[in-house]
Formats: sequence, structure tokens, C-alpha cells
Amino acid sequence: MSLRIAPFLPELLRSLFKKPVTVKYPFEKEAVPKDFRGTVVFDPAKCIGCNICVNDCPAEAIDIIRVSETEKKFKMILHNDRCIHCAQCVDSCPTKTYHMDLEYETAAFSRWDLKIEYK
Amino acid sequence: MAILKPILYILVYPGLLFLMVYSTFCEWFDRKLYARMQNRIGPLHTGRAGILQPVADIIKLFAKEDIVPEQADKRMFSALPVFALAIVCTAALYLPVWHYSTAPSFNSFPGDLIVVVYLLSLPTLIFFLAGWHSTNYFSAIGGVRVLTMLFGYEIPLLLALLSPAVLAGSWRLVEIAVFYQNHPLLMLANVIGFVIAVICLQAKLERVPFDIPHAETEIVGGQFTEYSGKKLAFFRLLGDIEMVVGAGLIAAVFLGGFPGGLLPGLAWFIVKTLFIIFLLAALRAATSRIRIDQMISFSWRWLAPLAVLQLFIAIIIKGSAS
Amino acid sequence: MEYKVSLGPQHPALHEAVSLRMTLDGEVIRDADLKLGYSHRGIEKLAEERSYIQNIYLTERICGICSHSHTTCFTQGVEQLMELVPARRGLFIRTLIAELERVHSHLLWLGVAGQEAGFESFFMYTWRDREVVLDILEWISGNRVHYAMNIFGGVRRDIDELQRKKILDSLDLLKKRTDYYLNLAASEPTFVGRLAGVGKLSREDAIALCAVGPTLRASGIASDVRKDDPYAVYGEIPFEVATADSCDVLGRAVVRVKELISSYAMIEFLLKNLPEGPFKVKAPRKVKPNEVYSRYEAPRGENVHYIKSNGSDKPERLKVRAPTLANYPATIAMLKKGFIADIPLIFAAIDPCICCAERLVQLDDARRGDSRVLSFSQLRSMANERAKKIDFKKRKIAWPF
Ligand code: SF4
Ligand code: SF4
Repeated sequence: MSLRIAPFLPELLRSLFKKPVTVKYPFEKEAVPKDFRGTVVFDPAKCIGCNICVNDCPAEAIDIIRVSETEKKFKMILHNDRCIHCAQCVDSCPTKTYHMDLEYETAAFSRWDLKIEYK
Repeated sequence: MAILKPILYILVYPGLLFLMVYSTFCEWFDRKLYARMQNRIGPLHTGRAGILQPVADIIKLFAKEDIVPEQADKRMFSALPVFALAIVCTAALYLPVWHYSTAPSFNSFPGDLIVVVYLLSLPTLIFFLAGWHSTNYFSAIGGVRVLTMLFGYEIPLLLALLSPAVLAGSWRLVEIAVFYQNHPLLMLANVIGFVIAVICLQAKLERVPFDIPHAETEIVGGQFTEYSGKKLAFFRLLGDIEMVVGAGLIAAVFLGGFPGGLLPGLAWFIVKTLFIIFLLAALRAATSRIRIDQMISFSWRWLAPLAVLQLFIAIIIKGSAS
Repeated sequence: MEYKVSLGPQHPALHEAVSLRMTLDGEVIRDADLKLGYSHRGIEKLAEERSYIQNIYLTERICGICSHSHTTCFTQGVEQLMELVPARRGLFIRTLIAELERVHSHLLWLGVAGQEAGFESFFMYTWRDREVVLDILEWISGNRVHYAMNIFGGVRRDIDELQRKKILDSLDLLKKRTDYYLNLAASEPTFVGRLAGVGKLSREDAIALCAVGPTLRASGIASDVRKDDPYAVYGEIPFEVATADSCDVLGRAVVRVKELISSYAMIEFLLKNLPEGPFKVKAPRKVKPNEVYSRYEAPRGENVHYIKSNGSDKPERLKVRAPTLANYPATIAMLKKGFIADIPLIFAAIDPCICCAERLVQLDDARRGDSRVLSFSQLRSMANERAKKIDFKKRKIAWPF
């Protein structure tokens, strides 16, 4: 391949009359695919308290707490500031208690605001 | 009345006020073009289509902390940006924007072409001093690169600017412009010179592919590494104004100046400088930065011989015409 | 006059913290040295306290760009320890992700090379087209950077017919664009002028200094773990090891573009021959005592994980050697012959991933010969004490010019 003068120029000039590809993010949002790994959602009705998810979570972001002495009822505290959105909890849970939603704008001013409690 | 015109000239048009406003507009234009060529949007939010973004940038810089290095010569360090800005603004005064006749005026005299070129090369020296006085290795390297590059582009630029002057038989900007207004076909004789002048202007403005003195991935900010706050804002404004003046100079010499009095002249000025800025932006987008040794060998192997060739063409045409 | 300049730990050309100590003479480099250790994260120690499953995600975070490389390397090693045969479809998908990752990493590198050389438009365009492959990866795995696809025994997500079609469609666009960039990069005089002849590393030096990956292959040595020691399904895929003989930065760029093109062919092959069946098999949680040495050809070169198990569900030792570390000695040799303007290009040409290569530094008491473990707060107070002792006012550094 030999050197040419300004081989990039045609493409550049063509772009001048094309629509820019930039997405004006906070004003326009791109859709995420349906399998996107967003925020973890917990369904308290299904949990049997086996603690597998707590042991498998790589970020130690899950707390499963028993809410009543007599019944087998559990609540879950998700430390979303630590969660790395790997979905291992979704895979590990034997009763399919978890799924992940499409939420990706989880930024907050304090890490404590990111704590989510599912009862 | 006689005193009013020079004052207007210095303060309003094409003096400080016009330069400040128009140069920020030119920076916006350049940035927007550059972005669109890269399929991006560019400045967007400040003002309509981001047109006030350069102004906002400068205001922001004015508000920032201004740090002077401990070992630097304080007075020199602070005075340099102001000097440079003043010099480039002075150069702008010699652009033949208000003249449509060859009637002499206070700022037009035979040889003002050389004065403008001289004034435009002074900021380069100031860049070198700024780099040298920053007491920073990156700045020092940048400063030395500024000077090294000067030897590369200054002579081709001068030769390229001289050939239209030779053809027009005058070294006075107004007369050169009027000559080409009367003989528009002869402009074609200077095409090579025009290309060389645009390339050299790019080098003078230190933009890609010649942003070698402040190549940020190599030597951080080059001669501007230690500059911050107001002083950096001055340097940025200087760059914009230098772009306008350089484009205006090339437009006056090669493209037949700005005929037609005040308002048509202004319109011509804007159209012609924006055309040259468009060329500069395209050059910036289409190339990658080169090394300093490559720059010097390029300008001596190609630019300088071509400029000499251009000069010969001009002399031959001149000789056969008379 | 010779003078010393330190590029980094903060410098616009470096995206991570590393310090290049240069001895310069004008524009020419006389001597070069490298200081590491600015961003040590203690990953190996952390791995010893995590179960194998958790460690998959930990190793994924060694590197952001070759995240799949590290997990695959780790997963393959642990699968060997478990004596587990992964599902065949799973292996195909794993390889597919690996090649998609190579595509995105090499496109990223092309952009970085453009940026370091001051060719911003090239950077913008390559990164624009890199979005295509990132979108594919997000579509398959649910995330753009950390795919989290590997699990012991296969992969975590299957690929359906629709995804298969979409990937094949996008490949055409990518192929077209890659050809365009190859032409562009090889014919733009300013860009070629910056890359050609810069950062020479002769064949002998490349071997002697143990370079890996495209750096080694650009010196004319056809060494690629995918060919030499095939893992996953690379043994079945027909492909050529890309090499170049120019031994310079341009050669490294050419090798990467050739690899891009061969990756597209591999992705096509993998999608067309995707076997039916399960995509993962069940894996045990505990691992018998043993040790393993796992190799993987990451986009940057050979990636090595050493794993020692002790019968529990946690590894006893994980040792990671990222390709960047192997390329450092060669980089220093290459830097020694260049100009200042070549530093960012030469350094970028190994595609450095500095954080990935930072490993534990253990401070032994040299006199007593024993080692101490210091907590973070202790280290901090030590540093503060030291800083207090320095009298910044008195320390006049003479400006040599
Ligand atoms: S997604 Fe991963 S990190 Fe987050 S809670 Fe689930 S297992 Fe833990
Ligand atoms: S693994 Fe599932 S069932 Fe077990 S504790 Fe976690 S959420 Fe509950």
C-alpha cells in the first residue's frame, strides 16, 4: 500500500453532512437489551433462607435476615453500592428468588442511599 | 473627526472588540467543524448550538486559580501572555478591512505586509520565552520545539506571501488586494503559494499536524504546562486571534482582500476567513501529529522549494506581462 | 546536556499510573527506566479468601479490557483441577466471547495509537465502530465490559438464533470498517511516518527479553498460545498466526489488524458450527488438593494463572501474570533508542494494562530477615511521619537551565 495525500478527507467531508452519532445522553436514553444486568430485585415470598446467595455473592452485597421467629419469612438488604451486577445470585438461588431489572442509572450522592431493603 | 477613525479602528473594528467577538466565534466554528468531521456534535449547550462555549471556557479560565512556579521569574512569567496578546492585536490593525481605495491611511504604508508577518512571528518568540521561564522540563522542551519549528515554517511562509506581492508589484496589503480584485484570474497563478501559506499558518498556530510544541501525549502542555488561570486564558485568546489575523492576512494577499466599503467588506472578511479556517480544520482532522525532525525535513524538502518555485512563477508572469 | 524527566505517574499519555524515568539529551532518549507499584490492589491475596465461584468475578476485575481473558484463564485452570469436562456448546460460546473481546480490544488499541500519535479523527472513528462489537457483547452477556459469562463447566448464558443472526450481520459492517482502517492507517503519510521504524525490537531481543503477544509476533515470531497450546476449541478452528517482520510499531499495528480480520473469520466459523446441547454442566464446589498452570492468549499476549488448591472451596494460592508485565523489559529496550515523541507510541504499542500487572510487594526487614504485615492505617501513619520530616522550604531544587 502506498502513501496518498489526505486519504481520510473524503470520509471526513462526508461526515460533515451526516447526522452525528453522539447520543445526547441525559436527554436521550438508549434502550438496553432485555437480558441486561441491572439492579437486583428480590421476591420475599420465594426465599427459603438457605443463604447460598450470601455465600456466592462475590461482593458481599447481600444480607438475608429472618423477620419472624416462627414463620420462615425473610427480608433481604441489598447493598447496591457494593453489588457488581454479576447476577451470580440469580444463578445460585435454588428457588429463583432473584431477577435483574433494566435500571442502570443508579448513581447517588451517598453510598447509604444505595441500600435497598426488600421485605 | 480625524482622530475618531483611528480610535474606532483600534477599539472597535478591526480592533479589540471585533477581534474578541469574532475570534471566539471562529474558535466555535473550528471546533464545530472538527467535531462534525469526526461524526460528533461538538459544543452544544452554551448559547445557541454551543456558540458561546469558547467564551464560557475563557470566563472559566479567568475564574481559576492562577499559579506561578516557585523558581520562575514572576514578572516575566506574568507579562508574557499580555505582551503576546497585544502584539497579535496590533498585527490585526494592519489588515486592510476599511480600505476600498488605495488612499493612504494612518495604518497603511508600503511594506505593511512585512510588518504583519513580523508581528505574527513575535508570539512564537514569546512562546519560547514562556516555555523557558516556566522552569519545567516539559515547558523547556516545548519552548525549544517552538523555536526549532519556527526555522521550518517561517521562510516558506514569507516566500509564499511574497510571490503575490511581487506579481502585484507592491508590498502594501491594500494595493495587493486591489490588484487581485482588478485581475481575479491572476489569483490562479498563486495556488501553490496559497497552499503553502495555509500549511505554514497551521504550523504557526501549532495545530495538528504541527502541534509538536505542546503535544500533550508527549510533553503534557509544552510551553503552557505551568500556565493556568488568567494567563492561560490570555494564551488561548491569543491563539484564536492569531488564527483570525493569519486567515485575514492570507485572504488579503491571496484572495483579493475585502472590497466594497464597511459592511460588504466585513461580509467578505467573514466569508474569506471562514473559508481559510475551514481548510485549517480539515487539515487538522485529516492528519496525525508529526515529529519535529519530520516537520523540519518536510518544510525544507517540500515547502521551501515549492515556495521558491511559486516565486519564480510570479516573476515569470510579471516579466511576460510587462 | 543530559537531563532526567519523569513521565508519569500522572501524564496525559498514560491512562494508568506508572512512571517512565527518562534520561534525555535534547529530543533523544539516552536511558529509560520504569517504576511500578502505584496501583497495587492486592488481588492475589483477596483471591485466597474467596470461594472459587466468587473468584471468577474477582479475576474478571483484574482487567477491564481483557476481562474475559482472565476469567477464562482462571476457569480453565479450576476445571482442570476439578477434572471437569465442560459442555461443548459452552466452550464454543466461551471462545466466541473471547474473539469478540479481542476485536473490541484491538479496535480500542487502534484508537489509542491514533490518539497517542495525535490523530484524533482516527481515534474517534475507530471508537465509534467499536461500539458495534460492544453492543453485541452487551446483547449476549448483559453488560458492555464485564461479561461475566464463564462458570465452571461452561458458560452462564446461551446464544439464541436471533443473536446469532445479528452478530453475523454486524460482522459485515465491522469487516468493511476494518479494511478501511487498514487502508487508511497504511496510506496516511503523517501517521505512517510516526509509526514506521519506531520502537525497533529485533527478533533476538524479542526472544531474549521474553516479549509476548503482538509485540513478539511483530518481530517475526509466530508464537500464539491459541496455536501452540490450544485451549477451549481453538484446536478445531482453522486460523493463521498473524506476524509481521518490520519489528516496529507499524508492525504491531499490522499484526493487530490482521488478528482482527482473522478474528472475524473465527467468529463466523464458531457461529456456523455451534453444536447443539447443554451449555454448561454441573460443577463441584470443593476442589481436591492439586496445582495447575493455565495459559491463555489474551489480546495483549500470553496470560498465565497458577492455581493451587487445598481441598477446600477456596484456592490456597492464585498467581496471575498479566501480559503487560512480560512486555516491560522489551519496552525499556525499545525506548532506549527513540525520540521523546516516540515514548507514548512505543509504550502504547505493547497495549499496556498497568493495573493488571501490579503485584504484591512484600517489604522484608533486610537486617532481621523477617517480614511484617502492615495494616492500611499503619502504612498511612508511616507515610505521614515521613512527609513531616521533609522540609519542603529548605529543599531548593536548582533549575539547571
Ligand atoms: S449481582 Fe452479584 S454482586 Fe450483586 S448481589 Fe447478586 S451476586 Fe452479589
Ligand atoms: S439463595 Fe435464594 S432462597 Fe437461598 S437465601 Fe438466597 S434468596 Fe433465599
